[in-house]
Amino acid sequence: MDIGSLLNALILGVSIASIWLIAALGLTIIYGAAGVINMAHGEFIMLGAYSSYMLQYYFGLPYLLCIPASFVIVAAVGLVLERGLIQYLYNRPLDTLLATYGVSLVLMQGVRLIFGSDPKYLAAPALFSSNISLGFASVSTFRVVILLVTALCVLGIWLLFYKTRFGVQVRAVMQNKEMAASFGINSSRIYMMTFALGAGLAGVAGSLFGVLAIVLPTMGASYVVQAFLMVVTGGGSLAGTVVASGVTGQLQSVFAFFSNDTFARFLIFVLIVVFLRFRPQGLFAQAGARR
Amino acid sequence: MGNLYHNKTAQWLVYAAFFIGLALIPSFVDDAFLLNQLATYGVYGMLALSISLCWGFGGILNLGQGIAFGLGAYGMAMTMQMQSQSESNPIPPFMLNNSLDALPWFWEPFSNTAAGLFLAIAVPTLFCAIFGGIMFRARVSGPFFAIMTLAMLSAFYTIILDRQPYTGGVNGITPPSALQIAGVEIDPYSSTAYLTVLGILVVATVVAKLITQSSFGLVTQAIRDDAERVRFLGYSVAGYETMIYTVSGMIAAFAGCCLVMLVQYVSPAQMDVSFSLSMVIWAAIGGRLSLLGSMCGAFLIMGAQSYLGDTFLATWLLILGGFFIIVVRFLPNGLASLLESALGLLASKPKTSAEPNGDAKPVPAE
Amino acid sequence: MPGLLEIHNLSKSFDATKVINDFSMEVVEGTLCCLVGPNGAGKTTTMDLVTGRIKPTSGKVIFAGEDITAKHEHVIARAGIGRKFQVPAVLRDLTVRQNLEVAYSRQTNPFWNLFKFRKAGLKEKLDEIATLGGLSGRLNERAGILSHGETQWLEISMVLMQEPRLLLMDEPIAGMTEGEIEKTARIFKDLRKTATLIVVEHDMGFVREIADVVTVMHMGSLLATGTISEIEADARVRDVYLGEKEAA
Repeated sequence: MDIGSLLNALILGVSIASIWLIAALGLTIIYGAAGVINMAHGEFIMLGAYSSYMLQYYFGLPYLLCIPASFVIVAAVGLVLERGLIQYLYNRPLDTLLATYGVSLVLMQGVRLIFGSDPKYLAAPALFSSNISLGFASVSTFRVVILLVTALCVLGIWLLFYKTRFGVQVRAVMQNKEMAASFGINSSRIYMMTFALGAGLAGVAGSLFGVLAIVLPTMGASYVVQAFLMVVTGGGSLAGTVVASGVTGQLQSVFAFFSNDTFARFLIFVLIVVFLRFRPQGLFAQAGARR
Repeated sequence: MGNLYHNKTAQWLVYAAFFIGLALIPSFVDDAFLLNQLATYGVYGMLALSISLCWGFGGILNLGQGIAFGLGAYGMAMTMQMQSQSESNPIPPFMLNNSLDALPWFWEPFSNTAAGLFLAIAVPTLFCAIFGGIMFRARVSGPFFAIMTLAMLSAFYTIILDRQPYTGGVNGITPPSALQIAGVEIDPYSSTAYLTVLGILVVATVVAKLITQSSFGLVTQAIRDDAERVRFLGYSVAGYETMIYTVSGMIAAFAGCCLVMLVQYVSPAQMDVSFSLSMVIWAAIGGRLSLLGSMCGAFLIMGAQSYLGDTFLATWLLILGGFFIIVVRFLPNGLASLLESALGLLASKPKTSAEPNGDAKPVPAE
Repeated sequence: MPGLLEIHNLSKSFDATKVINDFSMEVVEGTLCCLVGPNGAGKTTTMDLVTGRIKPTSGKVIFAGEDITAKHEHVIARAGIGRKFQVPAVLRDLTVRQNLEVAYSRQTNPFWNLFKFRKAGLKEKLDEIATLGGLSGRLNERAGILSHGETQWLEISMVLMQEPRLLLMDEPIAGMTEGEIEKTARIFKDLRKTATLIVVEHDMGFVREIADVVTVMHMGSLLATGTISEIEADARVRDVYLGEKEAA
């Protein structure tokens, strides 16, 4: 066997992992902190891609500025959605799943009506379309950019959740809403903020994926299942999702090296189901209060 | 007297009237294409029924009903495909196109129609029993189970797409001629086909209805309410959940067989995530707590999609999604619960006799 | 004579905290044992361990000569242990009648229950228990709309429908009126003829009224066991528990 190409596969694995991770990041926060099963997450990603497309095509915004701008736009959409619908469904996780699926249909069709169903393309700076050579292996620069953005997002979230007052409040609400309320924490506001934050992160993912693949109203559907699997496998915590994405991304790459992409994906899905049979609470379970 | 909606005799009468009405349709409809289309609605009805049984009564949200449905459909398509093959020409054309020069082993049993039909039902049923057994024993439940079914569905979708030489890949399988049973061909555009599907739907409904009224059904509803409490009463919750999930999967497998019999075509689209989710939407809008309500939900939405879909092509999904959100938010038990409340109002007024019409809900007895 | 329920050196740790620490007790058939102790003494955790809701770190639970340690909840329930929870747990979406019917769990096999539409002996038993629990007039109500006191009675009635050999009652009289408490005491004393009871209770008046044996837990361990007068004379118990109570 060729060691060079195996190493190449491993490096590709890191890149795949970062894609899985950035796709799942927003969902982790929304599920982990607010307990909402957001089926519209894929469409948030799609919205992120279209936001970037719109800003770039109509306003000529440079790509690197499109990324944070997409964050803001999709976060705003998330905010509206949370106030208008989700806030009435907390503590009914199955209903959040169903309602957000309805939202995903509306978003998908809405975008199709506005932008049409033909594919759009996001242009990244020419620099990003080159390759970085590491002697035996080479990676596309854009994949490195994704990795960096993902790492930045993870770091940012970690700082926000573990080093700021907001983070303490979020974790307090997660553990016990009533208790947190008695300390003067406005849990409704916390939920709103986390939901918007999660949506915004999906927007970031979207503007990255828009360069990686074509921009279509239906593009979200392909990300939502795998994003959910990362969250469930990780147990709903940030660390869990990071580890789950890392491992599955690497496995995906290795399996694909020996077979093909589609079959590798099949194997991953089956392995995750088997894994959850033995650890239904995921990698890093959060303590759940029961009666 | 109580709410007529919960009266078991009234419920059975409504079911009987409903199905007699459906059985009379072929005598009024001459258009063979319309009849075929109506028969496919029967398939959707079966799927909605299976979701109602599993989710409405068992409380198990299954977003992967397409697995059982798709496996059943593929089983039927394989059986029908092999009916077109002969001694001299044993390999289906799409395999030859994929340069396969021998029939794969798992295609062999489908050369025998009886064995093929048996497998078309048995394989998905067995899958549900095993997958459900594993998941429910591990106490995976609620949204987690829903996500797992979604993952499993995606896995099946992917593998069928990937193994093109064996499954026809994205093109699927298109058996060239109609299903033959014991030398008789079932023309998909005939009233025979329509009545066959309706017959299966009736049997499935009656079985499902009896299940909900049995001791098993009561325990299942108790589990939906509070699984932990039921465990301490001595019931193996995993056993009950596996059973209802499997029965529901079996009904979906029958639905898959019927669909292929009617349209002579199967493709991975039958296992698409969005199709499985539409089944859930039908049941949710119709009223998942009512078997009949769920079926009506399927008829209503698929009917609207066929007829309004042409006029509102661009906005149909927008309308459906919006309607679904409204139902989840304001009417969690679907349209059937409107009828329940209406009949409840009648019952609360003294000296009022209500006519049993519309659909009935089999939940809380009495 | 060996007890109906024997708990041998039971321990349970959550992470680093020992919640139950080398706890042993024995309950003789046909007696009523009250399990008392200050909050956090581990009474409810002991119930959880006996009924299989959580698995012990070490130790053994023997019921009727059979080792039931760490068995599944439904297996233990079938062996003959019924439990009422501290926070009344009834099936809120079902009617009172359906709650009692589900609790009448003679046949638990899912397959056979598919073909069962009428349960033998259910009606007599249901009438008897409903009358006892004062629920006869509420049978067709949804359990979710019952008052707190009625919910308590419904759950006690459910446990009685199970006809267990051993009944675990976690704070059964919380939220009951004076008259209802007296009635509960009467029913519990009656039950001793056919069953064995373990009652977790804070109300010392109630304990004095019903207990054959009192077992005191403190910090996850056994502090003392004996008749109510022995316990009330015990200086250590007075220190950690009764003293506090009387002072409060």
